[in-house]
Parts: sequence; structure tokens; C-alpha cells
Amino acid sequence: MKPRGTGLAIYAVGAYLFLHLPLLILSIFSFNSSRFTVWEGFSLRWYSAALHDTQLTESALNSLIIAVVATVVSTVLGTLCAYGLWKRNSRPLAGSLYLSLVTPEIVTGISLLAFYQWIFRFLRVQLGMHTVILAHVSFSIAYVVIVVIARLRTVDATLEEAALDLGANEWQAFRYVTLPAILPGVIAAALLAFTVSFDDYVITSLVAGVDSETLPMVIYAIARRGVNPVVNAISALIVIGFGSLVLVSERLRTT
Amino acid sequence: MNRLRAWFLAPTWTVNIVLFLAPLAIILGYSFLTRGVYGGITAPWTAESYQRLIDPIYLAILWRSFWVAGASTALCLLLGFPLALFISRAGRHKNFYLGLVMLPFWTSFLVRTYAWMFLLRDTGLLNTFLQKLGFIHTPLPLLYNDGAVILGLVYGYLPFTVLPLYATLERLDRTLLEAAADLGAKPWATLTRVTIPLSAPGIRAGAILVFIPCLGAYLTPDLLGGGKSVMIGNLIQNQFTTARDWPFGSAVSLVLMAIVMVLLFVIARGEGEGLL
Amino acid sequence: MNRRYFLFGTLAAGAGGLSACSSDRRPRLNIFNWSAYIAPDTIPKFESEFGVRVRYGIYESNEEMLARVMGGNSGWDIVFPTGYIVKPLRANLLVAPIHRELLPNLYQLEPRFQRPDWDPNLNWSIPYMVTAAGIAYNRKLDPPPKAWADMWDPRLRGRMTMLDDPFDTMGASLKKLGFSVNATDPVQLDRARAESIRQKPLLRAYLNAEARDQLVSGDVLAAHMWNTTAQQAMDSSKDVGFVYPAEGYAVYPDASVILRESKRQELAHQFINFLLRPDIAAANALTARTTTTNAGARKILPPDFRDNPTLYPAPDVVARGEWAITLDPVTQRLRDRLWTEIKAA
Repeated sequence: MKPRGTGLAIYAVGAYLFLHLPLLILSIFSFNSSRFTVWEGFSLRWYSAALHDTQLTESALNSLIIAVVATVVSTVLGTLCAYGLWKRNSRPLAGSLYLSLVTPEIVTGISLLAFYQWIFRFLRVQLGMHTVILAHVSFSIAYVVIVVIARLRTVDATLEEAALDLGANEWQAFRYVTLPAILPGVIAAALLAFTVSFDDYVITSLVAGVDSETLPMVIYAIARRGVNPVVNAISALIVIGFGSLVLVSERLRTT
Repeated sequence: MNRLRAWFLAPTWTVNIVLFLAPLAIILGYSFLTRGVYGGITAPWTAESYQRLIDPIYLAILWRSFWVAGASTALCLLLGFPLALFISRAGRHKNFYLGLVMLPFWTSFLVRTYAWMFLLRDTGLLNTFLQKLGFIHTPLPLLYNDGAVILGLVYGYLPFTVLPLYATLERLDRTLLEAAADLGAKPWATLTRVTIPLSAPGIRAGAILVFIPCLGAYLTPDLLGGGKSVMIGNLIQNQFTTARDWPFGSAVSLVLMAIVMVLLFVIARGEGEGLL
Repeated sequence: MNRRYFLFGTLAAGAGGLSACSSDRRPRLNIFNWSAYIAPDTIPKFESEFGVRVRYGIYESNEEMLARVMGGNSGWDIVFPTGYIVKPLRANLLVAPIHRELLPNLYQLEPRFQRPDWDPNLNWSIPYMVTAAGIAYNRKLDPPPKAWADMWDPRLRGRMTMLDDPFDTMGASLKKLGFSVNATDPVQLDRARAESIRQKPLLRAYLNAEARDQLVSGDVLAAHMWNTTAQQAMDSSKDVGFVYPAEGYAVYPDASVILRESKRQELAHQFINFLLRPDIAAANALTARTTTTNAGARKILPPDFRDNPTLYPAPDVVARGEWAITLDPVTQRLRDRLWTEIKAA
């Protein structure tokens, strides 16, 4: 096995380089004082430009608010759902959740757009933060369910039975026995839901209103106009931001 | 028991029905209506949108989407398998290596697609590099073609194959591999005759997780394809925005959904509980 | 358990606090305009003079704007459609009537824009700027492109872009074939479609303003471009030139329109009136590199800008231009279908 072991290791190095180099290069060039791909000196001007652009900062704030609210709602609903499915499976619900997971984003997006337009004939509501949040909750729940169920499968079902035997009711059994056991999984699910929500472009762009422009929408608009070092700067910030978030959650999870 | 469970499942059911199934039902309805004069929906019920789809132009788009998604999936599996193999053998550092694979995934998909725009354009890094080294004299048109789209998709979805493959490989019974070696099989033969067939569930799961999103991809062909390599996702988006032909767009969406469901049925039918 | 609550609690409180900070009591106006189509200080000036807050969104094409606005509940107050889009907007009951008495600066418009084809009494729209589409190119090209037919030249393979706009791109093909940009004959339109499809292998991408940076950087050698974008490119690089094709070209007046859904009609009128002020109109034209419809502005523009051949071409060039008009619904539908086919090919 050994000879092939080193071959595999070399391949792995190559694969990791492939995965990480593009982002690394992107980040390095975010410090380039020139807007062209020739290195002309170190500069923070693109970061300064990014942080001073009100459209960027406002949209980042919108993204944050939407992601936090959607994460909280979908994590709560998804955890409860996962628990219910763990107790006894419901093929229709599981199937429907799985379908919502694999449905291409463009189809989910346009169907929600059509749905909202149709509803707006009766309720005089506009597209806005609420429509985006609802959309995000809708597609995040399946992710949460998957992660939490995976965690639930490692939990010993007899623990709950023991609690019930000792006089607890179902809710208490869930709250004080199972929930603490799956908490790391719930946190991981919340993190996943947050990432998926913050990063979403396709669905959000279709259902967002005037006031609910998100960061991916702004990045996309800038990127469409061609390569712009400001996007490099934002990208680097996002990579660092989310990387730290993942690290922090890992520390929390394992303490 | 059932009461609590019912309460726990109800909210998710509500969200799912109202915000997922009902919208799908609405576009099912829209697909059988007619386009209003300047956009929107009007009365006559008709199957015209579906009939339009049989045109060779749209079949070509379908074919191209399959080919791009298929190539991306194949590449993801080919590139992901050795990596998953490596991680499964990494002993104590498994989680670290796994985390290293997932790290790009935690950053924005948009950012990762943009990274390739940055690298592949005519005055981008790759071309500047190759020109400086003297390999080429004029820039290679690396961007705005199917190849760039496939590259972008592979880069975005590679972690999706590594995870299920790793999960399957990790649970592999090592004694089977030892048995094969005992019976005189060379490492390569063990790999192809034992390891790979045994990883079939992981391969299937990875294939689904990559092929389906790639089939309906919109962002990658839009940014890296230059609006020229139209895939189903772009066609749908186009109909709902610039072309303002909602019935036709709905029809295309439903055909895509039908294809997805058929694929799921065919590929995942042996899975049982599968992911959920 | 405590840590989790703490984390979420802080995040929620933080988000709530931040959003409360950003709530503003001033009246708001939501304006949706073409990208790079206004002077940087116009909006801030309006905000401070009238004590309001403006949300300014941009789009790259009429279709992008229409997609947002069609539903009737987009949230925008003012949009800037091209002239030939005004009728479809009206047909869909999306436009609010203009109250001329609220626009004392209306007289500043050039006479020919006081009674435009698409809105003779200016009841629904107020002209803003005029653009035309032509060919922007890198001066390294020898000989430089002079006609639409040159955009079908194999030497441009992979280094040429066309506008991502159905009217413009089909218009280029129509002109190349010697037809009008406003053609309604299905036979002519079909031939134009075939021409556009023939061109696709040479095409790098369908891009609007996005092509500008690529032209400047040299990635693109020839681009189908609006004269304003081309002028912006020429400002950035001496290597870029612009030409109005020999076969003729389309001319587009853009106009401001108040949406019916707007709940701030009076403020919207005030903004449009503000845009009609000669100093504001001149600043807009100057920085956005556009052709203004405002006579008062034209008088105060610097001479070298007024004589700019790209934005204010010589009479013989102007004579080759053809105003884009609203097409009948049947033709429009056919064109939309043909455009899908061109894009899909």
C-alpha cells in the first residue's frame, strides 16, 4: 500500500491546491494597488472603497438580518421536524423535503415569484425583506433536518424511554434528554442554514424588493460589469468572515 | 406520543406546503395558460407552451445542459474519489483534511465563480502568466465557453462528491480489502474490483448531489458562459425576466422537475432512507 | 446551552439595534435608472435641497427594468424606460399621468422633445437623454470597422461583443440587411434572426455596459455599444474609438416615467422637475457622457463637449439615424420569440 500512499498524497496536495489557490489568489490581488492583473504594489484602497460604499454596507446588513432571522426560524422548525421524523418516519414529508433540496434553485425561485405575485392580488403587499426571509426559511429547513437527523441517529433511543419510565412527559423527555444530546448537531445545522441563506443569489434576486438588496445581489451586479478589485476585497472579507465563523463554531461544538 | 410528534411536524408541513408545493402547483397552472400581450398571464388554457418545447432549438439546450452537467459530475467523481480515499486513510487527521475540503464551500458560491472570471479572462492571471513564460503570444479565450462553465461547476460542487464518498469509504470493511490482497490481487485490481463497487452508494449519492444542481445551473453559465452557452436554468430565468413569457418558462421548469424526479427515482431507488 | 442562547441573543439584539439605527424619518423616493446615467452629485443635491432620502437602483437593460416593474408592486417610484417602452407600460396600466403644472421647468426641453412621437403631449413621460447604438472598437484594428457588416468579420472571432438587447441586436442585423430597425415584416425579421445566429460563432458574449471595461483593457476589440458607454470607455483609454455604422443605426430617447404604484407622486414630480434644471441636466449629461434633451443645458455645456462627434454628431451622421418606435403587440411577441431563439442557438 505504501507506494500508492505517496502517490495519493501527492494527488491530495494537488487537489487541495486546486480548491484553495483561486481564492488565495483572489485575496492576494485584493491588496494590489492597480486594478489590472499586474502587481503594482500593496494597497488597501479597494477595502476602503468597499467599506465606504453605502450600497455594499447596506446590502451586507440586509443579508445579515435576513440570514439571522431565517436561520433562527428554520433551525427551530427543522430541529422539531427532525425529531418528529426520527420518532417515526413520514414518507410524504421526508420525500417533499428531499424534493425541496434537489429542486434547482431557479425553479424554486420562479415558483416563489409566481406565488408572491399571485398572493399580491389579494393582499396588497410588496416584495421586501419578509418575502426573502420566508423564501430562505423554505429552502433552509431541509438542510437543517438532514443535519439534525444525522445527529439524532447517533442518540440512544432508550434514553428517552428511561426518562418516560421515570415519570417525565414527552416534552420533558425531548427537552431535557434528547435536545442536549443533539445540541452540537443543531448548532452545525444553524451554521449551515446561515451560510446557505447569506450566500444565496438566485432565489433572492427573484423575490427581493426595492429595500431588500442583499450582498450577493450587489456583488453579482458589480461582477457582471467585469472584473473589479472591489469584488476581490469583498470576497476576501467574506472568506475570512465565514472561515472564522466556522472555526468559532467548531470550538464551541467541541468544548 | 403522536400528539407531540404531530405538533413538531406541523410547522414544517405548513412551510413546505405553502412555500414550496403551492408555488409549484401555481407554475403548473401557469404552464397551461397563455402569455399576456406584453407579459403576464391571460385566459385561454392551452398546451402550446409544451408543444413549443419540442422545437430542436430547445432540445439542443436540453442536450447541452445534460452534457455540461454530466461532464461536471463525472469530473467531480473522478477528482473527488482519490481525495476521499486519501482522507479516509488519514488516520487521526481525518477531520482536519475534511474541514480543509469543506472550507471553500463555506465561502460564497458567487465568490468562487467570480474567482474563475478573474483567473480566466484574457488579461487575467492565467493568460498573463502563460504569456510571460512565452508559451503563447496572444491570450487564449479561456472564458465564455462550455469549458469554463464546466470548470466553474466542478470547482463549486467538488465538496459535494467528496463528502458522501468519504462517508462510504470510511465505513468500508477493511477486512474485505485484506482478503482481496491475500487472494493475490494487486492494489490496482483491489481498487477497481473491490473498493469502487463497494462505494457505489457514495458514488450514487455524490452523483445526484452534483448532477441535479448542475443541470439546473444558472449562475455559473451566466457569469462564465458569457450569455452564450444557454442552459436550462438560463432559459427559465430568461423567460421569467427579459422575455416575460411566464407560461413557457413554467413549462420548461416543470419539464426540468420531471427530469429531476425521474433521475432520482432511477438512481436512488436502491437507497431506501438515503439522505433522510 | 447558555453559550448558544448567548450567541444567538447577541446576534439578534445586534441586528435589531443596527436596523433601528438606520431607520430614517425623512420621506423616501425610490428611483430606478440605467447604470452610469446620472451625475454623482445630482442625488445628494436633491436629497439636501428637498430634505428627502433617495434609494437609487440601477439596471442594464429595459427588459431587466420591465421584469421588476411588471408586477405592479415593485416598490419603485420613478423608472427610465426607452421611448418605445412607454406604450407597453401604459398598456399594462403601470404609468401614472404627468401633471404638467407641477413641472415648471418643462419649457427647458428642446422643441423637438416637447412633442415626441411616443407621447405628443408629454402626458406620461418626460424625455431625459438620447442614446444611439454604434460600434466601439480598439484602434489597433486596421482597418477600423465602419459598418455593421464589419461585425461579421472573422478576424474578430472571440474578441467581439454585441448588446444583450433584443431591439439593438436584431436592429443591427436588420440594418445590415438594409431593412428598418422597426421592421414588422416576419420575413425580414426571420432573415435578421438568421444573420444574428450566423454571427454567434464569432461572438465573445452578449454584453451591455459590461463590455466597457473589457474594451478598455483590450480583452475585446470591437463592441456593439451605446454611444454613452463608448464615450466613457474613450475617456478611460485613447485606444478606443467609436463609429456610427454606414448602413444606419437606431436612436433611443430615454424618458422618466412615474409608476402608478408610487405613493409619492408629488415628490416624484419634484424630482423630474429638478432633473429639468439646466445646471442639473448639464451636469448629468457631462458626467454620464450623454446627449441631453434639455436646450437650457445644451447652452451651458462646455464647447468641446457640445461638439463631441460621438455624442453630438455631424448632421450627415444624424441623418443616418432612425428613431426606435413602439411596435405592435403581435410583432413584439414575434421579436421576443426570435430573440429567445437567437440566444438559444
